[in-house]
Amino acid sequence: MRIKKVWKRIIVIALILMLIPVLIILLERITPKPPESEVEYARLVLSQAASSNAATYSRKLYSEARALYDSAMFHWQKENRRFILLRNYEKVASFAELSARKAEQAAKVSRNNATDLNLRIRQKIDTLNNLVNQINNIFTAYPLSPEIWSRISKGKMLLKESEVAYKKGQFVQANKKITDSEVLLTDSFEKATSHLKQYFNSFRIWKGWVDKAIKESRQNQSYTIIIDKYSRKCLVYFGGVKKYEYNVELGKNWVGDKRVRGDKATPEGMYRIIKKFGNNKTKYHKALLIDYPNEADKEEFRQAIKKGTLPRSAKIGNLIEIHGDGGRGVDWTEGCIALTNSEIDAVFKIANEGTPVTIVGSTVTLDQILD
Amino acid sequence: MKNKVLMGLAAIAMVAVLSSCGKKPQAEIDAANAAIEAAKTAESAVYVPAEFAAVQDSLNAVMADITAQESKLFKKFGPCKEKLTGIVTLANQVAANAATKKEEVKAEVTTLLTDIKTVTEENAKLIPKLPRGKEGAAVIEQIKADVATVDAAVVEAQGLFDKGTYMDSLNKIKAAKEKADGLNAEVKEVLTKARIKF
Repeated sequence: MRIKKVWKRIIVIALILMLIPVLIILLERITPKPPESEVEYARLVLSQAASSNAATYSRKLYSEARALYDSAMFHWQKENRRFILLRNYEKVASFAELSARKAEQAAKVSRNNATDLNLRIRQKIDTLNNLVNQINNIFTAYPLSPEIWSRISKGKMLLKESEVAYKKGQFVQANKKITDSEVLLTDSFEKATSHLKQYFNSFRIWKGWVDKAIKESRQNQSYTIIIDKYSRKCLVYFGGVKKYEYNVELGKNWVGDKRVRGDKATPEGMYRIIKKFGNNKTKYHKALLIDYPNEADKEEFRQAIKKGTLPRSAKIGNLIEIHGDGGRGVDWTEGCIALTNSEIDAVFKIANEGTPVTIVGSTVTLDQILD
Repeated sequence: MKNKVLMGLAAIAMVAVLSSCGKKPQAEIDAANAAIEAAKTAESAVYVPAEFAAVQDSLNAVMADITAQESKLFKKFGPCKEKLTGIVTLANQVAANAATKKEEVKAEVTTLLTDIKTVTEENAKLIPKLPRGKEGAAVIEQIKADVATVDAAVVEAQGLFDKGTYMDSLNKIKAAKEKADGLNAEVKEVLTKARIKF
């Protein structure tokens, strides 16, 4: 009886022990499986998107992908807290899949955006550098206001900062700097150009003078001297054909016509040489005095006094010469036209009393200059 | 009666087996998070962004592993613990690298700030020597504007440096230095052309 009971117990224990692995295997089979591979894939794609700087260049998509991944992980952990047989990982899988899809999109968009931005910034840097060169070429010797120069200078500095950031691959920072730079430079260029346009309103008059001077030179087979203030050139014509071209330096306030004594402006008009000063007769090596003010200048001056645009005490200027001692690379005269000593020597030889001297703002149109 | 006791014990044993064999390595997780936070505080995202992103990604991977283990009948956190320990080491290394890089950037900015001061001082001495008659002329206006812009950029870069944002300061001072050097060359060219000693 006792032996029977012992055997009964042994059998029960053996059965229980055999049942445990069977139950475990059964449980393993029927337990819902978490979407490990989907979550892993989502994480990998997110990581790749991050490497593609999606957080910067495709921020919205990347944030959405990140949030979806976090939701997948949250739901996975939530399901893990439930009874093993009651777990449901469908939401986890769904969030993981959506996250992977968004991350893939984010990576693609990021690469495209970064490439586009890179290209756009490169183009803008080139465009603005060209604009800076244009500003330097057109306005270096042009008396713009300090405010405009200050804005140009700030624009140039921002352009440099943009280039520094661009070289480091910091396209977002580079873009911000270049946008600010563009505003300053284009705005300043427009203002400066508008100023220049006003000055060039007299172009038709200048052209008329130049054409007349060249025509007379051709008809009389004589020399005529044309001074182009904007390009700082002294052009010597004979028989209507340009023979020589020299660089000149002018008065500090060279833009516009001379209005009054001491305004440091170089007059504009049709003049003639009235006196030649050789060595020892001038402190500027050699000089050719012109008949400024002529009748037209005197009349203009009288009208200005009459209209009150000049004070009654104002005096008309005089003693405007083409002289030597130039070649300093800056505008330094009181209104005269300076050549280097060797160049004034050459001009001095061919010029006589009565030789026409035509001084104009420019011999070429503003469009040609801006081109 | 005894059979019932035995059955009960077997059931308890089964539940114990099924419930869990491992415990979530919370201490290691906390340590890894703390190490990453320290790396973040050390501005790793600014100075060594790729390294920082890599260590963050490693933590994400381990956290996914841990969650996966939590889903299983037989949990095995041993490899996760090892990985978390590795992450702590890596995060500490990233923080150290960030600190080194930050020091390098700081030293570069310091050098540039000193260099630019030398150039701007030289410019300040050269500009009054520009040819007489330049005063009021267009070129001097440009030079004055450029000098003011460089000075403002140096002040701004110094401000960023004092705030400890060395990377931003570096970008600014590099651009300012280029500009100051350009200005220096321009002034020297004008002086040379005008045959003025400097």
